[in-house]
Amino acid sequence: MATIYKLAKAQKDEDSDDHEEKETLKNKQRVLALSSRGVNYRQRHLLNDLRALLPHFKKDSKLDQKCKLGIINELAELNNCNNCIFFEVRKRQDLYMWTSKTPNGPSIKFHVLNIHTMDELKMTGNCLKGSRPILSFDKTFDSEPHWTLIKEVFINIFGVPKSARRIKPFVDHVISFTIADNRIWFRNFQIIEKDPMEPNKKPDDKDLSLVEIGPRFVLNVIRIFEGSFCGSTIYANPEFVSPNQVRRNFRMAKAARHQARMVAKEEKRRKVANSDLPDDPLTLSDFSDISNFSD
Amino acid sequence: MISPNNYINKSALKKSYNEIKIDAPWIETQVITSSEPVSIKDIDNDIERELAFYKQALEGAIEGRKNVIASGVSFSRPDDYFAEMVKSDVHMTRIRQKLVNEEQSIKASEEARRLRELKKFGKKIQVEKIQERQKKKKEELEKIKVMKKKRKGVEDTALDDDFDIALEQAAADDRPKKKQKTGKNGKRVNKDARYGFGGKKRYSKSNTADSSADFLSQFDPKNDKSFGGRKALMANKKRKFTKKRPGKTRRKSARNKK
Repeated sequence: MATIYKLAKAQKDEDSDDHEEKETLKNKQRVLALSSRGVNYRQRHLLNDLRALLPHFKKDSKLDQKCKLGIINELAELNNCNNCIFFEVRKRQDLYMWTSKTPNGPSIKFHVLNIHTMDELKMTGNCLKGSRPILSFDKTFDSEPHWTLIKEVFINIFGVPKSARRIKPFVDHVISFTIADNRIWFRNFQIIEKDPMEPNKKPDDKDLSLVEIGPRFVLNVIRIFEGSFCGSTIYANPEFVSPNQVRRNFRMAKAARHQARMVAKEEKRRKVANSDLPDDPLTLSDFSDISNFSD
Repeated sequence: MISPNNYINKSALKKSYNEIKIDAPWIETQVITSSEPVSIKDIDNDIERELAFYKQALEGAIEGRKNVIASGVSFSRPDDYFAEMVKSDVHMTRIRQKLVNEEQSIKASEEARRLRELKKFGKKIQVEKIQERQKKKKEELEKIKVMKKKRKGVEDTALDDDFDIALEQAAADDRPKKKQKTGKNGKRVNKDARYGFGGKKRYSKSNTADSSADFLSQFDPKNDKSFGGRKALMANKKRKFTKKRPGKTRRKSARNKK
Protein backbone atom coordinates (compact mmCIF):
# COMPACT_ATOMS: atom_id res chain seq x y z
CA MET A 1 0.00 0.00 0.00
CA ALA A 2 2.70 2.37 1.01
CA THR A 3 4.60 1.85 -2.20
CA ILE A 4 1.46 2.28 -4.31
CA TYR A 5 0.68 5.43 -2.38
CA LYS A 6 4.23 6.68 -2.85
CA LEU A 7 4.18 5.95 -6.58
CA ALA A 8 0.85 7.72 -6.99
CA LYS A 9 2.09 10.74 -5.04
CA ALA A 10 5.31 10.92 -7.07
CA GLN A 11 3.33 10.90 -10.28
CA LYS A 12 1.01 13.64 -9.02
CA ASP A 13 3.99 15.78 -8.03
CA GLU A 14 5.51 15.37 -11.45
CA ASP A 15 2.29 16.42 -13.12
CA SER A 16 1.89 19.49 -10.98
CA ASP A 17 5.54 20.46 -11.59
CA ASP A 18 4.99 20.27 -15.33
CA HIS A 19 1.86 22.33 -15.00
CA GLU A 20 3.63 25.05 -13.03
CA GLU A 21 6.49 25.17 -15.49
CA LYS A 22 4.08 25.60 -18.37
CA GLU A 23 2.33 28.44 -16.58
CA THR A 24 5.49 30.39 -15.79
CA LEU A 25 6.92 29.96 -19.29
CA LYS A 26 4.06 31.67 -21.08
CA ASN A 27 3.82 35.41 -21.01
CA LYS A 28 0.52 36.37 -22.54
CA GLN A 29 -0.16 40.06 -22.84
CA ARG A 30 -2.52 41.95 -25.08
CA VAL A 31 -2.91 45.68 -24.80
CA LEU A 32 -5.99 47.67 -25.65
CA ALA A 33 -5.01 51.09 -27.00
CA LEU A 34 -7.62 53.80 -27.25
CA SER A 35 -8.10 57.51 -26.86
CA SER A 36 -10.85 59.87 -25.88
CA ARG A 37 -12.48 62.33 -28.22
CA GLY A 38 -10.84 65.68 -28.94
CA VAL A 39 -7.39 64.28 -29.54
CA ASN A 40 -5.16 66.37 -31.76
CA TYR A 41 -2.93 65.24 -34.59
CA ARG A 42 0.27 64.87 -32.63
CA GLN A 43 -1.34 62.70 -29.97
CA ARG A 44 -3.16 60.62 -32.55
CA HIS A 45 0.11 60.04 -34.40
CA LEU A 46 1.77 59.06 -31.15
CA LEU A 47 -0.83 56.39 -30.55
CA ASN A 48 -0.46 55.14 -34.09
CA ASP A 49 3.31 55.02 -33.73
CA LEU A 50 3.02 52.91 -30.59
CA ARG A 51 0.66 50.60 -32.41
CA ALA A 52 3.07 50.21 -35.31
CA LEU A 53 5.98 49.43 -33.01
CA LEU A 54 4.25 46.95 -30.73
CA PRO A 55 2.32 44.19 -32.44
CA HIS A 56 0.34 43.08 -29.40
CA PHE A 57 -1.59 46.35 -29.27
CA LYS A 58 -5.25 46.28 -30.26
CA LYS A 59 -6.72 49.57 -31.36
CA ASP A 60 -10.25 50.48 -30.48
CA SER A 61 -12.49 53.35 -31.44
CA LYS A 62 -12.59 56.61 -29.48
CA LEU A 63 -14.24 56.62 -26.12
CA ASP A 64 -17.03 59.13 -25.64
CA GLN A 65 -17.03 59.38 -21.88
CA LYS A 66 -14.49 60.98 -19.67
CA CYS A 67 -15.99 60.36 -16.27
CA LYS A 68 -17.06 56.73 -15.86
CA LEU A 69 -13.88 55.09 -17.07
CA GLY A 70 -14.87 51.73 -15.64
CA ILE A 71 -16.37 50.94 -19.01
CA ILE A 72 -12.85 50.48 -20.33
CA ASN A 73 -12.52 47.34 -18.23
CA GLU A 74 -15.44 45.85 -20.08
CA LEU A 75 -14.05 46.87 -23.43
CA ALA A 76 -10.80 45.15 -22.58
CA GLU A 77 -12.72 42.04 -21.59
CA LEU A 78 -14.53 42.09 -24.90
CA ASN A 79 -11.31 42.39 -26.83
CA ASN A 80 -9.59 39.71 -24.81
CA CYS A 81 -6.94 42.10 -23.53
CA ASN A 82 -5.34 42.13 -20.12
CA ASN A 83 -3.69 45.56 -20.33
CA CYS A 84 -4.84 48.94 -21.44
CA ILE A 85 -3.39 52.25 -22.54
CA PHE A 86 -5.89 55.09 -22.59
CA PHE A 87 -5.09 58.58 -23.90
CA GLU A 88 -7.30 61.10 -22.18
CA VAL A 89 -7.28 64.58 -23.68
CA ARG A 90 -8.53 67.56 -21.71
CA LYS A 91 -9.25 71.00 -23.18
CA ARG A 92 -7.79 69.77 -26.48
CA GLN A 93 -4.37 70.51 -25.05
CA ASP A 94 -3.33 68.33 -22.15
CA LEU A 95 -2.68 64.67 -22.74
CA TYR A 96 -3.02 62.26 -19.84
CA MET A 97 -2.05 58.62 -20.30
CA TRP A 98 -3.63 55.85 -18.23
CA THR A 99 -1.88 52.49 -18.14
CA SER A 100 -3.56 49.65 -16.34
CA LYS A 101 -3.76 45.93 -15.94
CA THR A 102 -7.39 45.54 -16.72
CA PRO A 103 -9.35 43.13 -14.64
CA ASN A 104 -8.26 44.24 -11.18
CA GLY A 105 -4.66 45.29 -11.43
CA PRO A 106 -3.18 48.69 -10.60
CA SER A 107 -3.67 51.64 -12.90
CA ILE A 108 -1.38 54.62 -13.29
CA LYS A 109 -2.19 58.08 -14.57
CA PHE A 110 0.57 60.10 -16.27
CA HIS A 111 0.80 63.55 -17.79
CA VAL A 112 2.48 63.35 -21.20
CA LEU A 113 4.80 66.11 -22.37
CA ASN A 114 7.30 66.85 -25.15
CA ILE A 115 5.77 64.54 -27.74
CA HIS A 116 7.84 63.93 -30.86
CA THR A 117 6.41 61.43 -33.33
CA MET A 118 8.23 59.09 -35.68
CA ASP A 119 7.40 61.31 -38.65
CA GLU A 120 9.93 63.95 -37.72
CA LEU A 121 12.72 64.07 -40.23
CA LYS A 122 15.45 64.33 -37.63
CA MET A 123 14.80 60.75 -36.50
CA THR A 124 16.55 58.69 -39.07
CA GLY A 125 16.31 55.14 -37.71
CA ASN A 126 14.00 52.40 -38.90
CA CYS A 127 13.16 48.91 -37.64
CA LEU A 128 11.09 45.87 -38.51
CA LYS A 129 7.41 46.24 -37.86
CA GLY A 130 6.72 43.81 -35.05
CA SER A 131 10.19 42.90 -33.91
CA ARG A 132 10.48 42.31 -30.18
CA PRO A 133 12.31 45.13 -28.44
CA ILE A 134 14.94 45.02 -25.73
CA LEU A 135 13.70 47.08 -22.80
CA SER A 136 16.35 49.10 -21.01
CA PHE A 137 15.47 50.52 -17.59
CA ASP A 138 17.36 52.94 -15.41
CA LYS A 139 18.62 51.52 -12.12
CA THR A 140 16.67 54.25 -10.32
CA PHE A 141 13.56 52.18 -11.01
CA ASP A 142 14.70 49.72 -8.33
CA SER A 143 15.12 52.31 -5.63
CA GLU A 144 11.53 53.15 -4.65
CA PRO A 145 8.47 50.85 -4.51
CA HIS A 146 6.36 53.10 -6.74
CA TRP A 147 9.07 53.13 -9.43
CA THR A 148 9.30 49.34 -9.20
CA LEU A 149 5.57 49.04 -9.75
CA ILE A 150 5.69 51.40 -12.71
CA LYS A 151 8.59 49.39 -14.15
CA GLU A 152 6.61 46.18 -13.87
CA VAL A 153 3.57 47.71 -15.56
CA PHE A 154 5.80 48.94 -18.39
CA ILE A 155 7.32 45.48 -18.78
CA ASN A 156 3.83 44.09 -19.10
CA ILE A 157 2.79 46.64 -21.67
CA PHE A 158 5.89 47.40 -23.73
CA GLY A 159 7.45 43.97 -23.60
CA VAL A 160 6.20 42.04 -26.60
CA PRO A 161 5.40 38.44 -25.63
CA LYS A 162 6.77 35.61 -27.70
CA SER A 163 3.29 34.34 -28.39
CA ALA A 164 2.05 37.53 -30.07
CA ARG A 165 0.70 37.16 -33.55
CA ARG A 166 2.48 39.66 -35.76
CA ILE A 167 6.01 39.36 -34.46
CA LYS A 168 9.19 39.17 -36.52
CA PRO A 169 12.02 36.88 -35.47
CA PHE A 170 14.93 39.33 -35.11
CA VAL A 171 15.78 41.92 -32.51
CA ASP A 172 16.66 45.31 -33.90
CA HIS A 173 15.47 47.99 -31.55
CA VAL A 174 15.83 48.95 -27.92
CA ILE A 175 13.35 51.01 -25.92
CA SER A 176 14.84 52.93 -23.03
CA PHE A 177 13.14 54.37 -19.95
CA THR A 178 15.14 56.81 -17.86
CA ILE A 179 14.23 58.74 -14.75
CA ALA A 180 15.42 62.34 -14.79
CA ASP A 181 14.00 65.35 -13.00
CA ASN A 182 11.44 63.02 -11.38
CA ARG A 183 9.94 62.22 -14.77
CA ILE A 184 10.18 59.21 -17.07
CA TRP A 185 11.82 59.79 -20.46
CA PHE A 186 10.95 57.37 -23.26
CA ARG A 187 13.35 56.80 -26.18
CA ASN A 188 13.36 54.24 -28.98
CA PHE A 189 16.59 53.38 -30.79
CA GLN A 190 17.51 51.18 -33.73
CA ILE A 191 20.48 48.87 -33.16
CA ILE A 192 23.05 48.99 -35.92
CA GLU A 193 25.53 46.17 -35.71
CA LYS A 194 27.79 46.67 -38.65
CA ASP A 195 30.79 48.87 -38.59
CA PRO A 196 30.26 51.25 -41.51
CA MET A 197 33.97 51.13 -42.37
CA GLU A 198 34.20 47.38 -42.77
CA PRO A 199 30.94 45.92 -44.02
CA ASN A 200 32.16 42.36 -44.20
CA LYS A 201 33.52 42.07 -40.70
CA LYS A 202 31.56 39.84 -38.36
CA PRO A 203 29.60 42.03 -35.93
CA ASP A 204 31.11 42.38 -32.51
CA ASP A 205 29.90 43.81 -29.22
CA LYS A 206 32.04 46.89 -29.69
CA ASP A 207 30.56 47.76 -33.08
CA LEU A 208 27.02 48.37 -31.88
CA SER A 209 25.64 51.84 -32.45
CA LEU A 210 22.21 53.32 -31.99
CA VAL A 211 20.10 55.59 -34.18
CA GLU A 212 16.90 57.11 -32.89
CA ILE A 213 13.69 55.92 -34.49
CA GLY A 214 11.17 57.78 -32.38
CA PRO A 215 8.65 58.46 -30.96
CA ARG A 216 9.83 60.22 -27.84
CA PHE A 217 7.86 61.60 -24.92
CA VAL A 218 8.12 62.44 -21.24
CA LEU A 219 5.81 61.05 -18.56
CA ASN A 220 5.05 62.76 -15.28
CA VAL A 221 3.43 60.41 -12.72
CA ILE A 222 0.25 61.81 -11.18
CA ARG A 223 -1.34 58.97 -9.22
CA ILE A 224 -1.34 55.20 -8.89
CA PHE A 225 -4.66 53.55 -8.12
CA GLU A 226 -5.20 50.14 -6.63
CA GLY A 227 -7.86 49.03 -9.08
CA SER A 228 -8.15 49.43 -12.80
CA PHE A 229 -9.56 52.94 -13.40
CA CYS A 230 -10.99 52.86 -9.92
CA GLY A 231 -9.95 52.01 -6.40
CA SER A 232 -8.03 53.85 -3.73
CA THR A 233 -4.93 55.86 -4.35
CA ILE A 234 -1.81 54.01 -3.37
CA TYR A 235 0.62 56.67 -4.58
CA ALA A 236 0.27 60.36 -5.34
CA ASN A 237 3.13 62.42 -6.69
CA PRO A 238 3.76 65.35 -4.37
CA GLU A 239 5.54 67.40 -7.01
CA PHE A 240 2.88 67.24 -9.67
CA VAL A 241 1.23 70.53 -10.63
CA SER A 242 -1.68 70.18 -13.00
CA PRO A 243 -1.33 72.07 -16.28
CA ASN A 244 -4.45 74.06 -15.47
CA GLN A 245 -2.81 75.18 -12.26
CA VAL A 246 0.32 76.18 -14.16
CA ARG A 247 -1.68 78.29 -16.59
CA ARG A 248 -3.69 79.77 -13.74
CA ASN A 249 -0.54 80.71 -11.83
CA PHE A 250 0.84 82.44 -14.87
CA ARG A 251 -2.34 84.44 -15.37
CA MET A 252 -2.56 85.33 -11.68
CA ALA A 253 1.03 86.55 -11.72
CA LYS A 254 0.25 88.73 -14.70
CA ALA A 255 -2.88 90.09 -12.99
CA ALA A 256 -0.94 90.69 -9.78
CA ARG A 257 1.63 92.75 -11.65
CA HIS A 258 -1.11 94.83 -13.23
CA GLN A 259 -2.84 95.25 -9.88
CA ALA A 260 0.39 96.35 -8.21
CA ARG A 261 0.95 98.91 -10.92
CA MET A 262 -2.57 100.34 -10.53
CA VAL A 263 -2.19 100.58 -6.75
CA ALA A 264 1.15 102.35 -7.10
CA LYS A 265 -0.37 104.78 -9.55
CA GLU A 266 -3.22 105.58 -7.16
CA GLU A 267 -0.74 106.05 -4.31
CA LYS A 268 1.26 108.49 -6.33
CA ARG A 269 -1.79 110.47 -7.32
CA ARG A 270 -2.92 110.71 -3.71
CA LYS A 271 0.53 111.73 -2.54
CA VAL A 272 0.75 114.47 -5.12
CA ALA A 273 -2.72 115.75 -4.29
CA ASN A 274 -2.06 115.78 -0.54
CA SER A 275 1.34 117.37 -0.74
CA ASP A 276 1.75 121.05 -0.11
CA LEU A 277 3.86 122.02 -3.04
CA PRO A 278 4.03 125.67 -4.09
CA ASP A 279 2.29 126.44 -7.36
CA ASP A 280 4.51 125.79 -10.30
CA PRO A 281 4.53 128.93 -12.44
CA LEU A 282 4.93 126.85 -15.62
CA THR A 283 1.76 124.71 -15.36
CA LEU A 284 -1.61 126.03 -16.42
CA SER A 285 -3.89 126.88 -13.55
CA ASP A 286 -6.88 125.04 -15.15
CA PHE A 287 -5.48 121.55 -14.56
CA SER A 288 -4.93 122.00 -10.87
CA ASP A 289 -8.69 121.77 -10.26
CA ILE A 290 -9.15 118.26 -11.59
CA SER A 291 -8.43 115.98 -8.64
CA ASN A 292 -9.90 112.70 -9.73
CA PHE A 293 -8.92 111.10 -13.04
CA SER A 294 -10.56 107.73 -12.44
CA ASP A 295 -14.28 107.71 -11.98
CA MET B 1 -12.38 62.40 1.02
CA ILE B 2 -9.57 63.86 -1.00
CA SER B 3 -6.32 62.31 0.13
CA PRO B 4 -3.45 64.79 0.58
CA ASN B 5 -1.07 64.96 -2.36
CA ASN B 6 1.81 63.47 -0.50
CA TYR B 7 0.44 59.96 -0.16
CA ILE B 8 2.44 56.75 -0.44
CA ASN B 9 1.09 53.39 0.63
CA LYS B 10 4.15 51.18 0.44
CA SER B 11 2.51 47.92 1.44
CA ALA B 12 -0.22 48.28 -1.16
CA LEU B 13 2.42 49.11 -3.78
CA LYS B 14 4.35 45.98 -2.90
CA LYS B 15 1.21 43.88 -2.96
CA SER B 16 0.22 45.11 -6.41
CA TYR B 17 3.73 44.53 -7.64
CA ASN B 18 3.70 40.94 -6.49
CA GLU B 19 0.38 40.39 -8.20
CA ILE B 20 1.50 41.53 -11.62
CA LYS B 21 5.06 40.29 -11.60
CA ILE B 22 6.06 38.15 -14.55
CA ASP B 23 8.07 35.06 -13.60
CA ALA B 24 9.34 33.96 -16.96
CA PRO B 25 12.79 33.32 -18.39
CA TRP B 26 14.63 36.40 -19.61
CA ILE B 27 13.88 35.87 -23.28
CA GLU B 28 10.16 36.36 -22.70
CA THR B 29 10.46 39.95 -21.58
CA GLN B 30 13.99 40.99 -22.64
CA VAL B 31 14.50 43.48 -19.84
CA ILE B 32 17.89 44.94 -19.02
CA THR B 33 18.46 47.20 -16.04
CA SER B 34 21.35 49.61 -16.24
CA SER B 35 24.30 48.92 -13.97
CA GLU B 36 24.44 52.46 -12.61
CA PRO B 37 21.60 54.84 -11.90
CA VAL B 38 21.55 57.54 -14.55
CA SER B 39 22.26 60.97 -13.16
CA ILE B 40 21.92 64.08 -15.28
CA LYS B 41 23.26 67.24 -13.71
CA ASP B 42 21.55 69.77 -15.96
CA ILE B 43 18.25 68.65 -17.40
CA ASP B 44 18.10 71.56 -19.82
CA ASN B 45 21.42 70.76 -21.46
CA ASP B 46 20.12 68.78 -24.44
CA ILE B 47 23.41 67.22 -25.46
CA GLU B 48 24.24 65.95 -21.99
CA ARG B 49 20.78 64.56 -21.47
CA GLU B 50 20.52 62.77 -24.79
CA LEU B 51 24.02 61.40 -24.32
CA ALA B 52 22.99 59.92 -20.97
CA PHE B 53 19.96 58.27 -22.56
CA TYR B 54 22.09 56.99 -25.43
CA LYS B 55 24.63 55.46 -23.06
CA GLN B 56 21.96 53.71 -21.06
CA ALA B 57 20.29 52.33 -24.17
CA LEU B 58 23.63 51.24 -25.65
CA GLU B 59 24.52 49.36 -22.50
CA GLY B 60 21.11 47.72 -22.60
CA ALA B 61 21.58 46.79 -26.25
CA ILE B 62 24.99 45.21 -25.67
CA GLU B 63 23.84 43.20 -22.67
CA GLY B 64 20.62 42.25 -24.40
CA ARG B 65 22.48 41.07 -27.46
CA LYS B 66 24.60 38.76 -25.34
CA ASN B 67 21.57 37.34 -23.60
CA VAL B 68 19.59 36.89 -26.80
CA ILE B 69 22.40 34.99 -28.46
CA ALA B 70 22.85 32.92 -25.31
CA SER B 71 19.17 31.99 -25.39
CA GLY B 72 19.56 30.74 -28.92
CA VAL B 73 17.33 33.29 -30.64
CA SER B 74 18.70 34.91 -33.78
CA PHE B 75 19.64 38.53 -33.23
CA SER B 76 20.89 40.04 -36.47
CA ARG B 77 18.71 40.48 -39.48
CA PRO B 78 20.32 38.94 -42.61
CA ASP B 79 20.78 41.21 -45.59
CA ASP B 80 18.30 39.41 -47.76
CA TYR B 81 15.44 39.47 -45.26
CA PHE B 82 12.86 41.97 -46.51
CA ALA B 83 9.80 42.71 -44.47
CA GLU B 84 7.53 45.60 -43.62
CA MET B 85 9.34 48.28 -41.69
CA VAL B 86 7.90 50.71 -39.24
CA LYS B 87 8.63 53.70 -41.48
CA SER B 88 7.71 53.47 -45.15
CA ASP B 89 10.29 53.63 -47.93
CA VAL B 90 8.87 56.94 -49.13
CA HIS B 91 9.48 58.45 -45.73
CA MET B 92 13.02 57.12 -45.60
CA THR B 93 13.84 58.63 -48.99
CA ARG B 94 12.56 61.97 -47.75
CA ILE B 95 14.86 61.74 -44.73
CA ARG B 96 17.77 60.83 -46.93
CA GLN B 97 16.98 63.70 -49.29
CA LYS B 98 16.97 66.14 -46.38
CA LEU B 99 20.38 64.91 -45.22
CA VAL B 100 21.76 65.22 -48.73
CA ASN B 101 20.37 68.75 -49.04
CA GLU B 102 21.98 69.74 -45.77
CA GLU B 103 25.35 68.42 -46.90
CA GLN B 104 25.05 70.22 -50.21
CA SER B 105 24.18 73.52 -48.59
CA ILE B 106 27.18 73.22 -46.26
CA LYS B 107 29.43 72.50 -49.24
CA ALA B 108 28.00 75.39 -51.23
CA SER B 109 28.52 77.84 -48.38
CA GLU B 110 32.11 76.60 -47.94
CA GLU B 111 32.73 77.05 -51.65
CA ALA B 112 31.28 80.55 -51.58
CA ARG B 113 33.45 81.46 -48.61
CA ARG B 114 36.53 80.14 -50.38
CA LEU B 115 35.76 82.16 -53.49
CA ARG B 116 35.18 85.26 -51.41
CA GLU B 117 38.53 84.87 -49.72
CA LEU B 118 40.15 84.27 -53.07
CA LYS B 119 38.54 87.38 -54.45
CA LYS B 120 39.88 89.44 -51.58
CA PHE B 121 43.26 87.93 -52.13
CA GLY B 122 42.96 88.55 -55.88
CA LYS B 123 41.98 92.15 -55.25
CA LYS B 124 45.05 92.59 -53.09
CA ILE B 125 47.22 91.22 -55.87
CA GLN B 126 45.55 93.48 -58.43
CA VAL B 127 46.19 96.57 -56.32
CA GLU B 128 49.80 95.52 -55.91
CA LYS B 129 50.16 95.06 -59.64
CA ILE B 130 48.74 98.49 -60.40
CA GLN B 131 51.11 100.08 -57.92
CA GLU B 132 53.99 98.19 -59.45
CA ARG B 133 53.07 99.39 -62.90
CA GLN B 134 52.83 102.97 -61.71
CA LYS B 135 56.19 102.67 -60.08
CA LYS B 136 57.65 101.27 -63.27
CA LYS B 137 56.13 104.07 -65.30
CA LYS B 138 57.66 106.63 -62.97
CA GLU B 139 61.01 104.97 -63.28
CA GLU B 140 60.77 104.86 -67.05
CA LEU B 141 59.85 108.53 -67.19
CA GLU B 142 62.75 109.42 -64.97
CA LYS B 143 65.03 107.36 -67.16
CA ILE B 144 63.70 109.17 -70.21
CA LYS B 145 64.28 112.54 -68.54
CA VAL B 146 67.78 111.57 -67.66
CA MET B 147 68.48 110.32 -71.15
CA LYS B 148 66.92 113.41 -72.66
CA LYS B 149 69.16 115.55 -70.53
CA LYS B 150 72.13 113.53 -71.64
CA ARG B 151 71.21 113.63 -75.29
CA LYS B 152 70.17 117.28 -75.20
CA GLY B 153 72.99 118.23 -77.39
CA VAL B 154 72.80 115.27 -79.83
CA GLU B 155 70.03 115.46 -82.43
CA ASP B 156 68.85 111.88 -83.09
CA THR B 157 65.53 111.52 -84.88
CA ALA B 158 65.55 107.73 -84.88
CA LEU B 159 65.81 107.53 -81.14
CA ASP B 160 63.00 110.09 -80.73
CA ASP B 161 60.56 107.71 -82.40
CA ASP B 162 61.56 104.94 -80.09
CA PHE B 163 60.97 107.16 -77.11
CA ASP B 164 57.53 108.12 -78.39
CA ILE B 165 56.59 104.50 -78.96
CA ALA B 166 57.90 103.55 -75.55
CA LEU B 167 55.93 106.38 -73.93
CA GLU B 168 52.75 105.41 -75.75
CA GLN B 169 53.04 101.83 -74.67
CA ALA B 170 53.71 102.85 -71.12
CA ALA B 171 50.63 105.03 -71.15
CA ALA B 172 48.39 102.47 -72.83
CA ASP B 173 48.55 99.45 -70.54
CA ASP B 174 48.02 101.36 -67.30
CA ARG B 175 44.33 102.10 -67.49
CA PRO B 176 42.27 99.05 -66.49
CA LYS B 177 39.11 98.29 -68.49
CA LYS B 178 35.97 99.84 -67.10
CA LYS B 179 33.10 97.44 -66.32
CA GLN B 180 29.73 98.35 -67.74
CA LYS B 181 27.10 99.14 -65.12
CA THR B 182 23.80 97.88 -66.46
CA GLY B 183 20.91 95.89 -65.28
CA LYS B 184 18.28 96.99 -62.80
CA ASN B 185 18.87 98.56 -59.47
CA GLY B 186 18.57 96.14 -56.51
CA LYS B 187 15.77 98.21 -55.04
CA ARG B 188 13.86 98.04 -58.32
CA VAL B 189 14.26 94.26 -58.47
CA ASN B 190 12.83 93.79 -54.99
CA LYS B 191 9.89 96.09 -55.62
CA ASP B 192 9.06 94.24 -58.82
CA ALA B 193 9.09 90.91 -57.04
CA ARG B 194 6.73 92.15 -54.35
CA TYR B 195 4.29 94.35 -56.20
CA GLY B 196 4.85 93.52 -59.85
CA PHE B 197 2.55 91.70 -62.19
CA GLY B 198 2.89 88.73 -64.47
CA GLY B 199 4.35 85.33 -63.74
CA LYS B 200 2.41 82.43 -62.15
CA LYS B 201 -1.02 83.60 -61.15
CA ARG B 202 -2.22 82.28 -57.88
CA TYR B 203 0.08 80.73 -55.39
CA SER B 204 3.32 82.61 -55.96
CA LYS B 205 3.15 84.29 -52.57
CA SER B 206 1.80 81.36 -50.48
CA ASN B 207 3.61 78.53 -48.74
CA THR B 208 4.28 75.08 -50.14
CA ALA B 209 5.05 71.95 -48.10
CA ASP B 210 8.74 72.53 -48.57
CA SER B 211 8.72 76.15 -47.62
CA SER B 212 6.65 75.65 -44.47
CA ALA B 213 8.81 72.73 -43.30
CA ASP B 214 11.87 74.84 -43.93
CA PHE B 215 12.70 76.49 -40.59
CA LEU B 216 16.30 77.59 -40.93
CA SER B 217 16.21 79.50 -44.21
CA GLN B 218 14.82 82.65 -42.56
CA PHE B 219 18.08 83.00 -40.63
CA ASP B 220 20.21 82.59 -43.74
CA PRO B 221 21.60 85.99 -44.77
CA LYS B 222 21.23 84.93 -48.38
CA ASN B 223 17.45 85.38 -48.06
CA ASP B 224 17.62 88.86 -46.57
CA LYS B 225 15.14 90.91 -48.57
CA SER B 226 15.92 94.38 -47.18
CA PHE B 227 15.45 96.94 -49.87
CA GLY B 228 18.40 98.18 -51.85
CA GLY B 229 20.44 95.50 -50.12
CA ARG B 230 23.80 94.44 -51.37
CA LYS B 231 22.64 90.86 -51.97
CA ALA B 232 19.89 91.88 -54.37
CA LEU B 233 22.33 94.10 -56.17
CA MET B 234 24.87 91.32 -56.52
CA ALA B 235 22.20 88.90 -57.71
CA ASN B 236 21.18 91.43 -60.27
CA LYS B 237 24.70 92.11 -61.43
CA LYS B 238 25.07 88.45 -62.31
CA ARG B 239 22.94 89.07 -65.37
CA LYS B 240 24.67 89.20 -68.65
CA PHE B 241 26.42 92.48 -69.24
CA THR B 242 24.81 94.03 -72.24
CA LYS B 243 27.05 95.90 -74.56
CA LYS B 244 26.72 99.63 -74.67
CA ARG B 245 25.42 100.97 -77.98
CA PRO B 246 28.44 101.85 -80.14
CA GLY B 247 29.02 105.40 -81.31
CA LYS B 248 28.02 106.93 -84.70
CA THR B 249 31.29 106.30 -86.48
CA ARG B 250 31.49 102.71 -85.27
CA ARG B 251 27.93 101.97 -86.39
CA LYS B 252 28.59 103.55 -89.73
CA SER B 253 31.74 101.54 -90.31
CA ALA B 254 29.90 98.35 -89.32
CA ARG B 255 27.13 99.13 -91.77
CA ASN B 256 29.64 99.87 -94.51
CA LYS B 257 31.47 96.64 -93.82
CA LYS B 258 28.25 94.70 -94.33
